[in-house]
Amino acid sequence: MKHILKYYFSFCLLFSMFLAQAQETSTKTITKGTTQEKPKTGAAKPEIQEVKKDSIKTDRYGLRVGVDLYKLTRGLYDKDYKGIEVVGDFRLTKKYYIAAELGFEDKTTDDTRLNSTATGTYIKGGFDYNLYENWMDMENLITIGMRGGFSTFSQQLNSYKIYNANPYWGEQPPIVDGQKYTGLTAGWIEVAMGLKAKVFNNVFVGFGVQLKMLVANSKPSGFDNLYIPGFNRTYDGNFGVGFNYTVSYFIPLYKKKTIIPVLTNTKEAPKK
Amino acid sequence: MKKIICLFLVFTFGLSSCEKDDICDANTPTTPRLVISFYEVKTPSLAKNVTNLKVIGKDQSNGIIFNKSGDSITKYRTSANTISIPLKTNENSVTYSFILDSGNPNPAAINTDVIKFNYTRENVYVSRACGFKTIFQLDPLSLADPVSSPFEQTDPNNDGLWMQRVIVLQPKVDSENETHIKVLF
Repeated sequence: MKHILKYYFSFCLLFSMFLAQAQETSTKTITKGTTQEKPKTGAAKPEIQEVKKDSIKTDRYGLRVGVDLYKLTRGLYDKDYKGIEVVGDFRLTKKYYIAAELGFEDKTTDDTRLNSTATGTYIKGGFDYNLYENWMDMENLITIGMRGGFSTFSQQLNSYKIYNANPYWGEQPPIVDGQKYTGLTAGWIEVAMGLKAKVFNNVFVGFGVQLKMLVANSKPSGFDNLYIPGFNRTYDGNFGVGFNYTVSYFIPLYKKKTIIPVLTNTKEAPKK
Repeated sequence: MKKIICLFLVFTFGLSSCEKDDICDANTPTTPRLVISFYEVKTPSLAKNVTNLKVIGKDQSNGIIFNKSGDSITKYRTSANTISIPLKTNENSVTYSFILDSGNPNPAAINTDVIKFNYTRENVYVSRACGFKTIFQLDPLSLADPVSSPFEQTDPNNDGLWMQRVIVLQPKVDSENETHIKVLF
């Protein structure tokens, strides 16, 4: 958990940087507008001609499939964890992507008083919105999106301790239980923030953080869902967090040409 | 869109402070103790304080601490009309010696009664931080024939039982909010 928190903060920091960047560009467009209006009424004509030459942009559309390396490699060093997540997205429009994740997790949670294992599969589906304005042939993504998630899983209570505030007779050792609670389900919605960068050819590396809110949770009688595959650790409230690190491959299916004159204007503005 | 990101960042940092469910809150009802109240034998509705009562579990060297601020002798004594004693969470019976007037210099004034409580146990899930708790059912308890009581009262020194009547008020020990055993003396 400490590690996740650590990553989590570093991502927050990372995202806060993008935030600063986003603010810069938007303020530039505003200043550009004001400066352009006043002194350069005559010089606007050659600019438009330039735009027409350069702004024909070819956007590739297709399916991107990948795998979460964090979940995959965690099994190598964490004996209490086995998991895999396959991610995929399909570009619908210039900015919108349909996205889905499919995964399996087997996680033993060792709390101070409880030890339980959750095993199950999950599916998440939703969309991503690309906030990043790419230069000519770049295909990077900074996305914000929504997902609906559903998990079907089982939980096994391995051992537990009795909490006794008055241990006059001494603290009892953990009691081995082994009872399995099957047929459990949970549903949640999440807000996903992500980053995907094209490293070479059609290979993308990305990471993302998700904030989750549990909307449905079938708790077993006499126990609780301490870990839900896909949702991760549960807290007292309905909230959860998640994180992934993906490597994916883009399968191009078709191309679309677009003319974006506004975009080239904003690019030229900082040069002045 | 920018505002939304701002919002989520704030939300993210806010969320990271909600991590404190690893420590079991002292106010959470966990394994209950057996609550015994003392009453006047002549008027059983009148609560009566005990004098310097000391309660020691069988084969234990120290008594139950009733008064945390007391010194090494007085912290084991109580002069209240209600006491709470822990039951064993790993066995179905517990035996305690109830020593009345334990600090009296006159040994004849000290009276010890031994009670063995019999019960059944059930372990109940509380929370991630607290784990499980044990709740108890005083057993066997039967008012009809054959009459059985969930405790065995003995008098080790043959000086007469100071607890003249022991009555089970609530056989189900799942909280400390009510009196389970009423003792008349």
